[in-house]
Amino acid sequence: MTELLQHLVDGISQGAIYALIALGYTMVYGVLQLINFAHGDVFMVGAMIGYYFARATGESSHPSVLGALGVTLVSMIGCGLIGFLIERIAYRPLRSAPRLNSLITAIGMSFFLEYGGQFAVGPNPRSATILPTGGAVHFGGLSVGEADVIIVLSSAAMMLILQYIVFHTRMGTAMRAVSWNAQVASLMGVNIDLVISFTFVLGSVLAAVAGILYSAKYPKIDPLMGLMPGLKAFVAAVLGGIGNVPGAMLGGLLLGLAEQLVSGYVSSSWKDAVAFSLLILILLVRPSGLLGRGTAEKV
Amino acid sequence: MNVARALRSWLPFFVAIPVLWVIEQKVALNPDFGLEYLFVNINHIGIAIILAVSLNLVNGLTGQFSIGHAGFMAVGGYVAAVMMMRGPTDDPYRIFFLLSLLAGGGAAALAGWLVGKPSLRLRGDYLAIVTLGFGEIIRVIIENTQFFGGAIGLSPIPHRADFAFIWAVVIITILVAKRLRDSTHGRAFLSVREDEVAAEAMGIDTTGYKVMAFIIAAFFAGLAGGLSGAFEGNLAPQSFTFVRSFEIVAMVVLGGMGSITGATIAATVLTILPELLRGLGELANARMVIYSVALIVLMLVRPRGLLGTRELWDFFKRKAPKEPSPKREASEALIDVRKATIRFGGLTAVSEFSLQVKPRELVALIGPNGAGKTTVFNLLTGVYAPTEGRINVMGRDTRGLSPHAIAHLGVARTFQNIRLFRELSAFDNVRIACHHLTRESMAAAVRHGELSEQEEAWIAERANELLDVMGLSARRDELSKNLPYGEQRRLEIARALATGPQVLLLDEPAAGTNNREKVELMQLIRSIRDRFGVAVVLIEHDMKLVMGVSERILVLDHGVTIAQGLPREIQSNPRVIEAYLGEKYAKEHFGGAAPA
Repeated sequence: MTELLQHLVDGISQGAIYALIALGYTMVYGVLQLINFAHGDVFMVGAMIGYYFARATGESSHPSVLGALGVTLVSMIGCGLIGFLIERIAYRPLRSAPRLNSLITAIGMSFFLEYGGQFAVGPNPRSATILPTGGAVHFGGLSVGEADVIIVLSSAAMMLILQYIVFHTRMGTAMRAVSWNAQVASLMGVNIDLVISFTFVLGSVLAAVAGILYSAKYPKIDPLMGLMPGLKAFVAAVLGGIGNVPGAMLGGLLLGLAEQLVSGYVSSSWKDAVAFSLLILILLVRPSGLLGRGTAEKV
Repeated sequence: MNVARALRSWLPFFVAIPVLWVIEQKVALNPDFGLEYLFVNINHIGIAIILAVSLNLVNGLTGQFSIGHAGFMAVGGYVAAVMMMRGPTDDPYRIFFLLSLLAGGGAAALAGWLVGKPSLRLRGDYLAIVTLGFGEIIRVIIENTQFFGGAIGLSPIPHRADFAFIWAVVIITILVAKRLRDSTHGRAFLSVREDEVAAEAMGIDTTGYKVMAFIIAAFFAGLAGGLSGAFEGNLAPQSFTFVRSFEIVAMVVLGGMGSITGATIAATVLTILPELLRGLGELANARMVIYSVALIVLMLVRPRGLLGTRELWDFFKRKAPKEPSPKREASEALIDVRKATIRFGGLTAVSEFSLQVKPRELVALIGPNGAGKTTVFNLLTGVYAPTEGRINVMGRDTRGLSPHAIAHLGVARTFQNIRLFRELSAFDNVRIACHHLTRESMAAAVRHGELSEQEEAWIAERANELLDVMGLSARRDELSKNLPYGEQRRLEIARALATGPQVLLLDEPAAGTNNREKVELMQLIRSIRDRFGVAVVLIEHDMKLVMGVSERILVLDHGVTIAQGLPREIQSNPRVIEAYLGEKYAKEHFGGAAPA
């Protein structure tokens, strides 16, 4: 029983990080119908910025709550900027071209961030202490790391903020309008370019937070660290129904739980296969994901 | 004769083999030249070409989106490698190697079928992520199986693939891809890419073709995997991650979707680019960064790929044909609908609809917007299945039949919102519709046999004739999306006629045309009926027009058939007038009583 609870705690914390990254995928998909494959690497950049800034300011040797917030903020700004630039350089010029083209530039961008990172800082992993998260809280045999608590609480806070932005602000309304029909939205006076840029920035900011949180739990940062979590988060987004904000959260949590349970009860080497098997099973039953809206083509 | 033909059809291959062998013996293996390193790269290029050209069949030609090609490559590679490592140590004529390769390809094809069959009903990005997922699952399974060497991989695999062998497979791959592409099957693949609904309506089994493309592509990916293992001498699961699949997709898109030569060139460029960058000295460390920038820049500069959808080649002329003419006998009622009803949730779109269409009849279906006219067409062609009631076509119950099967029975249609294969020429649009009249198998298309040549010529003749009848001869080679609106509508009719129908369903053929054009169109419809002996069912808004051309009229309103009969009976029917003009108008002008 304790073991199960332990896996559930780990799963929720893992899933919260997936969900944060998945939100970036799903929002971009919502407005552009584009899989932004570089998003997982933005997450990596977030962790990197956090690591170097924490070292430069002495935060990593004397961790404090205020310092950690500062580091996170800097990382959010950095990633926001990168997200903005990625869209301007690699996607905007191709907006009227077939969607597959932007997918190739997305892959190119992803390679660029990975190899560029290896070139700039070297391929070796470095261990990070960005957040003051050494200890753990014990409930009987159950141990909940401080990192887990921080991860779940900050993810929940970010999602609440996102929910507010998407459903209760003018910009959020514009985002939803663009995702329903960009052409009509522009006729109604919505500045599509601005909305799309904003969406990229917003998604990248969330990825930065995810990067910082991830490094608190798995303190091993290298230029390829975004590859697998990025892919898993994308799977989570599709699982929940891509383009759907609550779907991404649900998908992330589900995926995190499934992975931790399999790691715990079967073997961690089967973890990656489980994520994809779950995805395939769900898509075969519900072709547009758990919360996605099915679209029938009009004949 | 047949032997000679068979030999000729494989001529490029037979010429290539000795040439490759001579290069191998005299150049690659000659220590004086010191070209080992160059030939290693040339072989890498060859393997990349096999992968890109085969994936192009799925992603480029058929328009499906697979990013799991590395997974199939892994399946083929591992099966072949295990066979070779456990098989005879001595393989002088490389017969066993060939068998191992084929077994690997076969295993990959089987995996392709297993993956494709359930997942190809997903669309676009969902299909993409599922193929990616399957690729990753295959990798994880290999990593966790000791039989396949686990995470460490397999080694040593006998070095049996050399330059000549790899490039012989490259040539076969390109030949097969090119011949499939130029055959009626190639056009069927293309039609799936352009518009699935229209392709089904033209009698093409879209699901079948998607699965087929998947299987063929997986087979060649398996061969590439086997070659790669036998060339490098080892296999490791890490070389089959999704990153590898991405690289192959990049080759296909960069080459230009559907272009075989494009895929070949892109595979070459993307394989040697990182190698060339090695020579940069100081910057050599940054080579992968430069590679990724080059990928982005190439895509931005040439968004349609290096070659677009064109090819570098175009040879092999065709001879005049004999005509295999497919004929079907007509039964009394071509279409027989009894009380068909369809509901979408709570909405009854069409209720208790009955219709019999006799040979060479001209029937019109009219009614206000939203009356359910197009839904009737969708029922007749199997796009929707009726909730209740029965629909017989040529005396056969169509329940459970997919649209392409119904098209085979002899029902062809046009679409209200024109659904041409937009990126294909007018000529190709019509040729695709001849697809189900051909008998040539895919294997025959690849062999390039006599039947395929005859049939191709016959299809070309038929397509030219139909374009001529519709007054589109001058537009033969223009992309259908570039035709003016009226001509697009006529092209749709030509395409529908090319399927050799008994019944032609025309969905608002006159929509968006002016009065003079409408009159011409109605004359055209009559002449089509006379010339091709088809029955025509016509949906039209314009009452005057319908009155002039049709022999019988059905009026639908809110899914209910409110009247049917001869044109002049309909004209004076109060319920029809009410449906069109409103109750108030009908009362004021006809006093509620049925006029004479």
